Amino acid sequence: MSFLSVRDLHIDLGEFYLQGVSFDLDRGDYLTIIGPTGAGKTILLESIIGFWPPDKGDIYLGGHTITKELPENRNIGIVYQDYALLPHFTVYKNIEYGLKKKDPRGMKQKIVEIAEALSLDHLLHRKPATLSGGEQQRVALARALVVEPRMLLMDEPFAALDPQTRRDTRILMKKIMSRQNTTAIHVTHDLNDAWALADKVAVIRDGLLAQFGSLEEVFKRPRTPFVADFVGATLLEGAVVGHDHGLSVINVNGFTMRTIDNVDIGTKVKLALRPEDIIVATRPPQDTSVQNNIRTTVSSILYEGKTSLLSLTAGKTSFTVLVTNQSLERLGLSPGDTVYAMIKSSSVRVVDSLTC
Amino acid sequence: MATLKKKVTPEGLNFFKAGLIFISFIVTATLVMAIAALFMVPDVKDVWESLQSEEMIFSLKLSLWTGLLSTALVMVFALPIGYSLSRFQFTGKGFVKTIIDLPVAFPELVLGLCLLLLFGNTFIGKFFNALGLNFVFTTQGIVAAQFFTALPYACRIMKSTFDYINPRMEFVSRSLGYSMFETFMNVSLPLARNGILASTVIAFARCIGTFGTVLILAGGTYMKTEVLPITLYLNISYGNMGMALTSGIVLMVVSFVAIFVFEQTEVSL
Repeated sequence: MSFLSVRDLHIDLGEFYLQGVSFDLDRGDYLTIIGPTGAGKTILLESIIGFWPPDKGDIYLGGHTITKELPENRNIGIVYQDYALLPHFTVYKNIEYGLKKKDPRGMKQKIVEIAEALSLDHLLHRKPATLSGGEQQRVALARALVVEPRMLLMDEPFAALDPQTRRDTRILMKKIMSRQNTTAIHVTHDLNDAWALADKVAVIRDGLLAQFGSLEEVFKRPRTPFVADFVGATLLEGAVVGHDHGLSVINVNGFTMRTIDNVDIGTKVKLALRPEDIIVATRPPQDTSVQNNIRTTVSSILYEGKTSLLSLTAGKTSFTVLVTNQSLERLGLSPGDTVYAMIKSSSVRVVDSLTC
Repeated sequence: MATLKKKVTPEGLNFFKAGLIFISFIVTATLVMAIAALFMVPDVKDVWESLQSEEMIFSLKLSLWTGLLSTALVMVFALPIGYSLSRFQFTGKGFVKTIIDLPVAFPELVLGLCLLLLFGNTFIGKFFNALGLNFVFTTQGIVAAQFFTALPYACRIMKSTFDYINPRMEFVSRSLGYSMFETFMNVSLPLARNGILASTVIAFARCIGTFGTVLILAGGTYMKTEVLPITLYLNISYGNMGMALTSGIVLMVVSFVAIFVFEQTEVSL
């Protein structure tokens, strides 16, 4: 049996609810949960930790059910977006709080160690109110990790941090989590958190688990248009019309694409494309290894910081491509231009197939 | 500041705004004058003599100990009630909240009458009698009257105090191995410090100032159940202004101190 097993979890708190959520994690897994606001992500965390008893379903941790266990006996840590540090305690006392209850031997040594690992050693005597957001979040992390919890749950831990601090904390998190081999669940709105940290990804929508799988699976093979949209991929529909040297040839609304996935002729399929897997060229590409070179028209350009999203149209089909602003400028692209989209057959993922 | 004033001036002749502010000031000014009168009318010598009279010393002592005892009792009940109303969902919660709040809008005399009937010849009254507690026309009755009059205010303040404490701090404490009770003692209570202080001073001021409920339940007997508001009432009826004004001043000082402390704690009612 897997380390954490959530089985058919139902819970109804009125405004927020979960319906039949099931998934499994192995020890040391890092799961990020993504989904729109109000989808039920936080109550999933809070029911795993034991604050809300489920109406139906079971939660197993380390092979035993913990569904009816009190939160204080589960040994699961939690870190919140607003840190929830105890304002009447110093940083040291905050970190010490859990240790004092669970394992008071050698407390000082452990606190000093974790404080060093999270660069908090110079802040131990301060009160939380005098710290920056990033520092407070590191204290919250230290407080949760110092007791060596069986699992760590985090509810949008980086949401209140500025972008630079967010990047730094992410790197620190990655280091400390792999060092302790902690099993973690991390709720986030920021896909970068998933890219940087996750082994597994769960997408929750309206209290239902829309998709669960490895990072690769969810981001590259989103199963529904909703998930595809949420993880920034494009879903295309087509039908397999032939095979060519082990590749499947798929007709998508007027043009053909080749994929390394093997599907029978005549099957209707959904294909997922990721915007960062596509290369654009202003002239018909020659002598490349790329199997799919599609003539398209630029329909719009959306600027996003250092990069831009090009929306390309071929026939009735549109998909997006991520390019750096530097390349955009060099190619001098503007809406209406003709470009060639180059897509490797290994980047064309079949996510769903229906035999006719 | 200067730029701000400039911006305000163009609409300085807004009659609506000026009218509202005028009304606020008129009422405040009347109150201030009424309060000032209490301090201006009597002469210092008269107040000083009244303060040393046997009746006033008795009344002060009785007010002080009944007020302190009632306040302590109020807080013993207000803490759990305020916390339950703030944190838990339970059947009958709305009912409990309404009934607890009722005395805020209830005339004190009617509350006193209800308590008199309850503690009189009913089995509840007999039950308390068997425990050695008799609330009718006794000093114990003063405490009971003050308790029920002040309780709603204290409960409300405690509820809003706990509402402002992030429940996630309690969640974190429980995830770190502390039981609900330990979490309440380690996290909720220390964080409610200001609210407890505010609640205590307001409860004390309400207890000391309770008149109607005390009058009906405990009776307004000279030198027996005579607390400060009763002293004021009895002496007004005798035409003994010095004594009446002195108890008024003492009550007023207590209220001012209570409101001042309450404002400092920044807790909402």
